[in-house]
Amino acid sequence: MLLNQFLLLSAVLFCLGVYGVLARKNGMLVLMSVELILNAVNINLVAFGAFRADVGGSVFALFTIAVAAAEVGIGLAIVLLMYRNRRSIDLTQADLLKG
Amino acid sequence: MQLLAQVSSETDLYVAQNIFFAVIAGTMIYAAFRVVTTANVVHAALWLVVVLAGVAVQFLFLGAEFVAVTQVLVYIGAVIVLFLFGVMLTRASMGDDETVAGEKRAMAAIVGVLLFAVMAVALVDSFEDTRVDIDGPQGVVEVSDAIFSQYIVPFEAVSVLLLAALIGAIVVARKD
Amino acid sequence: MLALLAQEVDFVRPAIDWHAVAPELTLLAFGALVTVMDIVWLERGRRLTSSVASIALLVTMIPIVTLALDGEDRVMFGGAFVVDNYALVMKAMFLVAGYVVVLLSTNYVAEGDYWESEYYGLLLSSILGMVLMASARDLITVFVALELLSIPAYMLATWRKRDLKSNEAGLKYYLMGVFASAIMLYGMSLLYGGAGSTLLADINEAVSVDGSPSAIVVVGVIFVIIGFAFKVSAFPFHTWAPDTYEGAPTPVTAFLSVASKAAGFVALLNLLFVGFFGRDDVYEPLIWILAAASMTVGNLVALRQTNLVRMLAYSGVAQAGYMLAPLAVASDVGDAALTATVTYLLVYAAMNLGAFAIVLAVARKTRSAEIDSFKGLFGYAPGLTIAMSVFLFSLAGIPPLGGWWAKFRVMEAVIEAESASGVVLGVFVAVNSVIALYYYARIGLGMWAEDAPNGDTTPIRVPASLVSALAITAALTIAFGVYPPLVSEFDVTLLAGGLGG
Repeated sequence: MLLNQFLLLSAVLFCLGVYGVLARKNGMLVLMSVELILNAVNINLVAFGAFRADVGGSVFALFTIAVAAAEVGIGLAIVLLMYRNRRSIDLTQADLLKG
Repeated sequence: MQLLAQVSSETDLYVAQNIFFAVIAGTMIYAAFRVVTTANVVHAALWLVVVLAGVAVQFLFLGAEFVAVTQVLVYIGAVIVLFLFGVMLTRASMGDDETVAGEKRAMAAIVGVLLFAVMAVALVDSFEDTRVDIDGPQGVVEVSDAIFSQYIVPFEAVSVLLLAALIGAIVVARKD
Repeated sequence: MLALLAQEVDFVRPAIDWHAVAPELTLLAFGALVTVMDIVWLERGRRLTSSVASIALLVTMIPIVTLALDGEDRVMFGGAFVVDNYALVMKAMFLVAGYVVVLLSTNYVAEGDYWESEYYGLLLSSILGMVLMASARDLITVFVALELLSIPAYMLATWRKRDLKSNEAGLKYYLMGVFASAIMLYGMSLLYGGAGSTLLADINEAVSVDGSPSAIVVVGVIFVIIGFAFKVSAFPFHTWAPDTYEGAPTPVTAFLSVASKAAGFVALLNLLFVGFFGRDDVYEPLIWILAAASMTVGNLVALRQTNLVRMLAYSGVAQAGYMLAPLAVASDVGDAALTATVTYLLVYAAMNLGAFAIVLAVARKTRSAEIDSFKGLFGYAPGLTIAMSVFLFSLAGIPPLGGWWAKFRVMEAVIEAESASGVVLGVFVAVNSVIALYYYARIGLGMWAEDAPNGDTTPIRVPASLVSALAITAALTIAFGVYPPLVSEFDVTLLAGGLGG
């Protein structure tokens, strides 16, 4: 199999994720788009690891998965706190701070 | 799935794998597209499951069994459940989330397409038709040996990180 | 099962130099102590947590001093973890900055009843991530250290839970932070692909050779630098900084603007000088643009701020530009660029923490960080006014204060490059220093010459912990400027040790 078929698939996921982060305004949906980017990263890492016959890629992917889980956990906590105080998680309404 | 990786290393044509890959990749791209475009938060989370499962299959193609299993356990098992809890607890409209301004979307779409063009040129230029030979799966043994020797410092740091995230998330999320 | 286990006896136990990891282990032990104390002694333990946290940071200095006296570079895991002079200087800086932040937090957190033991636990784990970052010479270690220092910081920014502004600050910081680290990770995955190793030294070797997969390395370097531009709040990736700084609890803001930014720089220095130093064709133009744009935009927007914290945030964007400037000529001047950036980081930490200490002290009375509320400060708090003037003039770069010396080193580095781009950048630094002088001086003038709003001149009672924080930062700010060898002494050892695994 070609290395590039994996890398191009990952590039598509990455770009869709970037689109999602820029275009979405709901906090949960932005977070899901970030997860798309992180998965693109993992496909890259594992594909390069297989290509270079190096175990580092798999290890890096495992670390990314662990950290992503922690990130989503605290993201949920912050979103919950926001919702409790404000009854909305719409990012365009979060505009107390500007200048 | 060990079989899958073995077959791919023995034959040169990879017809079956390539068809299978194309089907999975197509599904993933469509699902990812729906994740970033659907107006319904619950649907987005469910489409994300399809993408994540597809990524796990890609890991199997590449012979990374352990990462694939972790992907299923952590991502589909934990992260998606967290997302769904988040959707339920914030009572985000189960129906449609009103859409953002078209202008911002167009900007984001331009950025996304340009980025992909750059990436595609860079990747094709760098690797053209390089093949990736998967000589058998990358075993759990090699991965764990690496984690507990070469990568022991980041491994310990990740455990501190998870504990800190746990404590912090409880403090931030609890009612008081 | 047993057969399977027996089969794998070839696992080699990694050789660990316990002296080299002693600072990290000490911090870890104290962090655990802070967490456990609250569970075991309840209320009684909670009152002690801030003292334990400050003791932790001071005790962690001991192994740093012994390692420095030992003077030997320690390399572990094939170069993934390095303790050299550069790493020790940065570790010491993070610990001192952390100590000052604990001093700033003591009264603020105790009076606000903000989950004390968890607060200090998270603060210590974030500092642990920074201390680890100083030694990280491997993609995975850099990534994990970066997340370890950022994730507690996201939560600390939301720490005033009932305050909508604090919630918003945390949410913005979090979303920008995870997006930036995702972009950076994508860049790292491409660098890994280009080299086939996670060790920065190996990556440098692989990417510097002609004929290596060049295009993806270029894209990888760009993504990594953009990811760190978010962390150090360089224009145009700075938009989170003013909002987060304003909304977050003020001691946390001080922590973010100094320690977190410095950690971003340390990671960038590690990657740039060890990981892809040979690819100056990619990083130099990119950093040149980031540096020039950050100082110009940061200063121009800072001019029209009415809130001191927001003004410091934009001035922080400009300062990030000054710190990036030497890196734009890194390939020409080599170690001089590294030295200039490190010097600036050390001085910036002292003077910026000091400025935030004053904001905290004055806000105890006025409950506000608006610039107008500082008017007439000299009338009722002459000591604070003098200290604030020292910090502001140092930030503006007026001799003989530390900020002047830092700017001088930056200018020296960019001029030494003897290239047109270096000289133009030097002009940018000079012009921006003049612009910045205007808004720093405006605050100074208000404090000294104008009358207090509402004629309220009751004196401010400054708690002992804030006084010590002010004493430490003011002494360092003046000492760095009056006696530059204090920092240049570091420089010499830094050069001797050099970077690299």
